[in-house]
Amino acid sequence: MAQIQDRIYMDKKDKELYDKLDDESMLKHKGGNRTRKEQFLFAMAVGFEKGVRRELEKRKELFNLKDLKLEDEALINAIAINETKSISIISQKNEVYKIAEEYAHGGIKLLVDEIQSCEFGSFEKLYEKKLKEIIIKLHI
Amino acid sequence: MRIDKLLLKNYRQFKDLDISFLKKGENDLHVIIGKNGTGKTNILNSINWCLYGDEPHLSKESQQLPILNLNQISKIEEDEDKEVYAKLHLKTENGSCITVARKAVYRIYEGEKIPVLQKTEFEVCVPDAKGNVDIKKGEDAESFIERLVPKSIREFFFFDGERLDTYFKEATVQNIKHAIFLISQIDLLENKIEKRLKDFLSDLRKEAGKTNPNLESIRNKLEEEEENLRTHNKNEDEYQEQKTIAKKEIREIDEKLRGVPDVDALEVEKLGYKSDKKSAKNIKQEYMAKRTEALFKYGNYIMLWPALKNTIDTINEKREKKELPPPIDIRLLSGSLKEKVCELCGHDVDSKSEAQIKKLIEEIKLSPEDSKFLLDVEPLLHRIKLALSEYESDMKDLSHHIIKYEKELEEIEKKIGKIDKKLSGYKLEKVRSWHENRKIQEGQRDKYLQLIAEEKVRKMGCEEEIKKLKQEWEIGLKKEEKASKLRNDTGFCSKAHEIIKEAKEIIINEAREKIEEETQKLFFDLVWKSKTFKEINILETYDLELIHAMGYECLGSISAAERALLALSFTLALHDVSGFDSPLMIDTPVARVTDENRENLGKIFAKVGETKQIILLFTPNEYSKEISKILDMKSSSRRSCELSAGEIESSIKEL
Repeated sequence: MAQIQDRIYMDKKDKELYDKLDDESMLKHKGGNRTRKEQFLFAMAVGFEKGVRRELEKRKELFNLKDLKLEDEALINAIAINETKSISIISQKNEVYKIAEEYAHGGIKLLVDEIQSCEFGSFEKLYEKKLKEIIIKLHI
Repeated sequence: MRIDKLLLKNYRQFKDLDISFLKKGENDLHVIIGKNGTGKTNILNSINWCLYGDEPHLSKESQQLPILNLNQISKIEEDEDKEVYAKLHLKTENGSCITVARKAVYRIYEGEKIPVLQKTEFEVCVPDAKGNVDIKKGEDAESFIERLVPKSIREFFFFDGERLDTYFKEATVQNIKHAIFLISQIDLLENKIEKRLKDFLSDLRKEAGKTNPNLESIRNKLEEEEENLRTHNKNEDEYQEQKTIAKKEIREIDEKLRGVPDVDALEVEKLGYKSDKKSAKNIKQEYMAKRTEALFKYGNYIMLWPALKNTIDTINEKREKKELPPPIDIRLLSGSLKEKVCELCGHDVDSKSEAQIKKLIEEIKLSPEDSKFLLDVEPLLHRIKLALSEYESDMKDLSHHIIKYEKELEEIEKKIGKIDKKLSGYKLEKVRSWHENRKIQEGQRDKYLQLIAEEKVRKMGCEEEIKKLKQEWEIGLKKEEKASKLRNDTGFCSKAHEIIKEAKEIIINEAREKIEEETQKLFFDLVWKSKTFKEINILETYDLELIHAMGYECLGSISAAERALLALSFTLALHDVSGFDSPLMIDTPVARVTDENRENLGKIFAKVGETKQIILLFTPNEYSKEISKILDMKSSSRRSCELSAGEIESSIKEL
């Protein structure tokens, strides 16, 4: 049985993209930067929503797995279950994290592109608008 | 009484002047227009000189020159006499014509340039009912004029227009007190009778004191207390004056501050708004941060919703199939399959059992850890589902708060803008210093009010003590057989003194009340803004209050024209109350009044001219089109005063 990874990884090239997230006001928390875990989950959600999953070329540690709380695990595992259409995937932790890492890899690029295409300070409005469209589309 | 005619000979610029002030219909208003230096004001001086022998309105230039006409001085031969002559024809109410003539004879001695006064003559001719003329000379003549128009009150009949502007601007209390004292002719009672009685009483007491040491001790104490009372009276007068100065300052500042905003109050208001703005901005930012946080949190849930929903559905499905929690531990089955021995019963696992176990493993799929994980996250996923159902209302609520505080900030900005607009264009430091000075003056006024009150209490104490000592004095005097005559004399003097004092108070108060009533009547009859003012009060302290229709005292904030009208009304009231019916002669009457209000004052002079002779001396600039359109029609005579080519003599021409 393979050993369960103790880190979450990003693609080495994504380091710069994660740093860029630090400049976006909407992605700040009480004036400070979001943690890498929070940025990762956000990028993962964006990647999932857009259906963009990209394999990591060169892995680089992003944060410690211990930082994940139960709710975070719930989100990560939900993606894996949805992706494999099998609940048993949750027993294959490395696979679960791999799926999450690949969506985050796809998502972070889209997210940064989107932020950079917006005028300064207008990303939040655009983001809110998009959430509304998703709500309507998915009948949430 | 009115002036029918003025004759001048060799008086300053006027070699020969003969002006008749004839009444035309109802109008008895006469206008003389002359540039500065033409001798216009010397007409006013010549009337004063004729009646009283002095010239109170002389300019600095005229003060350097002799009263004798300069042209005449140049023609005068050595040891030749030249006379200066002024004659007034006065008509009294009963129609008799009195002539007043003053003559001064001058001579230039050999080698001298300045004429020397040789003699003066003063003569008043008073006709009786039968047509006989009583010629009064010297002191008799002066005494007659003193009864006709007392010198002490001439300032209310013949004056400079500047007086109208400054009368209620400077030392109001002193002016009013002075006027009422003069008009009441109280000086006769105060200076002559009261003072003499007081001196006489003091002498009698001294004499009585010599008869008995006890009486002498009481007398000393009494005189000491009376001296104290005088000191307190003097102090009170001093404090009243200081209070008046402070009030005058306040009025002047109020005048400067008229229409100027209260900078300090507005700054304080602005600071309050700035503080409100800061807190509203902070609250708005808090809501915006909450909104951003909510968007971030909900965003993950919304974007991942298909996966989350799928997980919830899968858990539900597993539960329905009784697969969750799993009926058998998958690890037992896997172990049995691996070891080929059943871990529960110990039997060997044959091929049939192996197929059954494999089928079971395939069906179960979940380890107890995985099941536990799913069971743990299930409530979390439901909470997310519930939160998403509240997303829109939560966001709406947060947006509502943000908009509310944005509007509040806009309102605050508007208020700050309004204050800035109010303050713009003013020299704030200057305005602030006015406000500060006003506060200081208010403090001074209140301080002196307090001191006045304290002096009043001390005076009451003194008066009580004096009363007590007087009783002791009476008792002591009664016991002294030898002093019975002195007792009677001091008793009489004392009573007479008291009566005189009371009479003085009554006369002054009556005069004050009458003047107040008459001033108010005249002012409201003449004022052009009839609804602006409510009443005029002359207080016991001789403070004059002009009460605005809104109920506040407004003397400090009225216009120069209104102030001139108030002074004119007060002056005319003094005429009425004094009983001395003399003409009114005003030099430069509207010099300090704006064009717009000149018309108003012109109308008032015309109205006054219907009941009283009024002679007005204008400069050409003063006699502007605003005033000429009124007075050209209403005046009985209009003359110009012009200098000759040599600029030594002046003449008067009819216009």
